[in-house]
Amino acid sequence: MKLALQLAYKNLIGAGLRTWLNAIVLSFAFVIIIFFNGLMDGWNQQAKTDTVAWEYGHGQLLHSAYDPFDPFTLQDAHGPIPSNTNLSPILIRSAAIYPEGRIVPVTLKGIDNSNKTLDLPTDILKQSAAENPVIIGKRMAKSNELKKGDNVILRWRDKNGTFDAQTITIAGIFDTEVVSADKGLVWIELDKLWAMTGMQNQATMLIANDQYQHKETAGWTFKTQEELLSTIQKMIDMKKSSSSIMYVLLMAIALLAIFDTQVLSIFRRQKEIGTYVALGMTRPQVVGLFTVEGAMYSLFALVLAALYGTPLLGYLAKTGYAIGEAQQDMGIPIASRIFPVYGIPLVLWTVFFIVIAATIVSYLPARRIAKMDPVAALKGKLQ
Amino acid sequence: MSNIISLTSVTKRFPVGDGEFTALKNINLNVEKGEFSGLVGPSGSGKTTLLNIIGSLDKPTEGQAIVMGKDIAKLTHKESARLRNEHIGFIFQVYNLLPVYTVFENVEFALLLQDYTKAQRKKAVMEALDWVGLASMANKKPSKLSGGEGQRVSIARAIVKRPVILLADEPTANLDAENAHGILKIMKRLNQELDTTFLFSTHDEKVMSYLNRIIHLRDGQIEQDEQITAKSASS
Repeated sequence: MKLALQLAYKNLIGAGLRTWLNAIVLSFAFVIIIFFNGLMDGWNQQAKTDTVAWEYGHGQLLHSAYDPFDPFTLQDAHGPIPSNTNLSPILIRSAAIYPEGRIVPVTLKGIDNSNKTLDLPTDILKQSAAENPVIIGKRMAKSNELKKGDNVILRWRDKNGTFDAQTITIAGIFDTEVVSADKGLVWIELDKLWAMTGMQNQATMLIANDQYQHKETAGWTFKTQEELLSTIQKMIDMKKSSSSIMYVLLMAIALLAIFDTQVLSIFRRQKEIGTYVALGMTRPQVVGLFTVEGAMYSLFALVLAALYGTPLLGYLAKTGYAIGEAQQDMGIPIASRIFPVYGIPLVLWTVFFIVIAATIVSYLPARRIAKMDPVAALKGKLQ
Repeated sequence: MSNIISLTSVTKRFPVGDGEFTALKNINLNVEKGEFSGLVGPSGSGKTTLLNIIGSLDKPTEGQAIVMGKDIAKLTHKESARLRNEHIGFIFQVYNLLPVYTVFENVEFALLLQDYTKAQRKKAVMEALDWVGLASMANKKPSKLSGGEGQRVSIARAIVKRPVILLADEPTANLDAENAHGILKIMKRLNQELDTTFLFSTHDEKVMSYLNRIIHLRDGQIEQDEQITAKSASS
């Protein structure tokens, strides 16, 4: 093996530009695969962190009648708040606002104005001098052309299903990457919502803080943080697997270059192969030498990728990768800039995968050497 | 003296289209250690085929070829490789130097397949290059050498492992007269000083003038086996 490595190294260095062209193509595969996987991991990490901070907390207790995917359950999905200081109650009601005369269905969420569990700026509600202050997200504000200080009519149903309406004031507009804490939502003080609906001490869901220890509570279903985040994980996994098509294409181009070089080498270097055999190398040794040569392309590519990839990927990890605005509304939290995360397992797996793939595509044409007639090879006859 | 090459009724046939071509017919030949002999004959007479069988690069279709006590037909690929690596040196018409290696590395190659230390390899390679007068060119690439120098490197590569048998296939065919004589003198000296057995395949008169034994081949058969007296052979 040591001999094969020594000889392969000399042969590849001796081959000059041909070697470096293959190594450069393969190094692109290294860098791009690591970058995109790092980007996905960074997105995953950011999305989870943001969603925990803005929506999930350390788990949620959902009213047993509440189905987050069925708005019709909202009418009856509420119950008395269990006494636990580690839970922040949220009451959810369907409502509508009328910005400039248009009717816009919204979800009205009542939250304690001293909430510390979620990152929502509920202090604004406490500090506002308006009669009915609310806060909304930047997407909600943009889509309805609302700005801070605007007054808009809000219509809702009380506990008996009777419509009522009042003017609310946009006390603040917050910026979050978590679309589900923003789009179509109006956040109001919980006390105010209780008063408006006549649903004192009622909640639809309870957000747990990091001190919360779960005990079975009748009428409430507990969803752990992991369960809640599993949807994001699934979406990112799906996105990752769809991106793998790009990796396959990229790898196919790089590996095809190696395969092509190997096939060409075996035809062009028949005299050399014959000489190796005449000098006493066994055929498996020659097959091994050519296979190691092919595999060594991936090691050269690794060195090249490290040379230009390390500063490039490091720079992107520091400055982040800008995401288009349109992509930020796709339903999963996407920051305006994603900061790729390159874990050691990601780098090691990528290296392992590319080295193995390069070795296999090098071995396939090299097997032909084992069937070569050394006499014909010495004469350079095509076989 | 003992026979280190012993061929008995060796026949070699090659498939050609639907039929067969007989390259060697019923060859019987013994070569003793230290001989400086040549297979002489026109193109297609079977010289190279016979050398390839002796060098265990090929196997006889019929008959028995015993080289260094080994039956060539019965050797596995691995055993053949070991025989070539340890006991047989090859010199080719077109030198077959490995283009990406330096002169030193080309000569060193055969030793890499054996258990030599780096220091032993260096000593052996420099000795071999001294023999052929190319020690000063150790770091040059084959592309920078003349034809005569290339063939001398090829000789150094063949003798560096001190083989018992050295097979040379038309070694002077690509060389001018001056270089050819220079090469042949080196080989003759190696034969005399190292007692290496040389077997040439040639139709070059210059080579024949150095041989102690000329085996004439025609149409795959030995036509004449001629012993040359020491006086008549060049030295």
